[in-house]
Amino acid sequence: MDSLRQTALMLQELGWLPAMFQYAFLTNALVAACMIGPLLGALGPLVVVKRLAFFSEAVGHAALTGVAIGILLGEPATEPLVSLFCFCTLFALLLHWIKSRTSIPYDALVGVFLSFSIALGAALILYVAKKVNVHILENVLFGSILTVKDRDLLVLASICAAAVLLIIRGSNQALLASLLPELARTRGINLRLYDYLFILMIALVTVASVKVVGAILVGALLLIPATSARLISRTGREFFWLSVLFSTVSCLLGVLLPMAGAMPVPSGAAIVIIASGGFVLALIIRTWRSFA
Amino acid sequence: MGPQIQLESMSLTLGRVEILKPVTALFQPRQLHAIVGPNGAGKTSLMRCVLGLMPHKGEIRCVWPGKATPVAYVPQQTAFEPALPVTVEEFMLTTLTRLPVQLLRRTRARMRVIELLRRVGLEHKGHLQLGSLSGGERQRLMFAQALERDSLFWCLDEPMTGLDTDAQALINQEISLLRRQGATLLVIHHDTDWVRRYADQVWLIDGGLKRAGSADAVLQLNLTPLRDEMEAYA
Repeated sequence: MDSLRQTALMLQELGWLPAMFQYAFLTNALVAACMIGPLLGALGPLVVVKRLAFFSEAVGHAALTGVAIGILLGEPATEPLVSLFCFCTLFALLLHWIKSRTSIPYDALVGVFLSFSIALGAALILYVAKKVNVHILENVLFGSILTVKDRDLLVLASICAAAVLLIIRGSNQALLASLLPELARTRGINLRLYDYLFILMIALVTVASVKVVGAILVGALLLIPATSARLISRTGREFFWLSVLFSTVSCLLGVLLPMAGAMPVPSGAAIVIIASGGFVLALIIRTWRSFA
Repeated sequence: MGPQIQLESMSLTLGRVEILKPVTALFQPRQLHAIVGPNGAGKTSLMRCVLGLMPHKGEIRCVWPGKATPVAYVPQQTAFEPALPVTVEEFMLTTLTRLPVQLLRRTRARMRVIELLRRVGLEHKGHLQLGSLSGGERQRLMFAQALERDSLFWCLDEPMTGLDTDAQALINQEISLLRRQGATLLVIHHDTDWVRRYADQVWLIDGGLKRAGSADAVLQLNLTPLRDEMEAYA
């Protein structure tokens, strides 16, 4: 990473890159964005096909409670990652476990869990405020490119590798299981295993994306690029690659634009606003196609 | 040759509702076994138990005379989300390969998909989205994915639903070929004429096994209201 940062600095001094590249943290954030973008973009279509959009949003919002618990247990306020991961995973597993054992409609169940976790987080934040400056939490919840360190990039790279492995090994099976679960079972696909692996991956991705996207907005980035891609895709292949493209472009622009414009906007918020712009663009393309 | 499937006092209860009373039956290979009965009689539940999709009591033994093949299953009346961007060809590829269809172009697998689609008359529909298929085309697709298994043990749940006469002829031809190859075929069907023509053994299910034997024996001895109901449904 040092050599990459030095190269960026050298190119900036030569005038080939804008002045903002003199800051090493920007290079770190861009490298992180180059990993998070494709990662979230690649998982997004599965979230949409499996109708887990609301679920991934709920896991992201559970982060608020995870962060609060972490700080109260003595984790560093800038990165309470262990508690965040444990709480998000526990939240997701419990939700899914109850879903598989009751006949409660999934959206209602997610709504109950979401409300409870936000209420619990809000209650705990009062105690957290006595220990740390609450504004530090904004970085965790909404992302901040200033906080990305080499160690974070290493964690991110490991999670990306695990996600790529899961996608390569299981995306066909997951797709078939989403389309026709019974048929998938007769073909020896372990639906429960894939469900739990996917849930674990969403929890891991939430943790990995905290620094750049922010815990609360990860769910949005899993959902918006994939939904935009779905609007204008004709094939599964297009769906996947357009989702990756939308997500990566949103992450890169979300990091660069606030810096270029010297706007005090959290990177996560900028990324999701740009992704939403992509959704509007996809909607226009879709409408234009239907008239053409 | 296909397997011999033996059900030993196999019963199914969901919650407090008894779906199937204990059933003892023997499905021999080289035969087409038609499972008939009125709506809600437990035919699909029986098939799902045989496929291992439902928890049941009693025993199901599957004895293969030679090397076992995977089971081929044609489910009842499938539906796909209308605007989902997954094509027929991509769906077939998900059943054929383990590597993601989004990442690689596999010519050999694609050729196999085209061949399978041709066998059910869908060779020109590979580029269409799943949601745009008609009911009959979906049924043909389900048959195509089952053909991919190269199986000698088939479970077909109302395979002719929504099919036009050409498609029915195609499927009947494939079924006859499978029987000649020695496959064990379990078919849920409501059309008594079809059952009389193709079935070697008929199993009348209505909350349990009511009668078994040749088509004529079971359908003629059958209670008239039940037959009327089946024929009205067909």
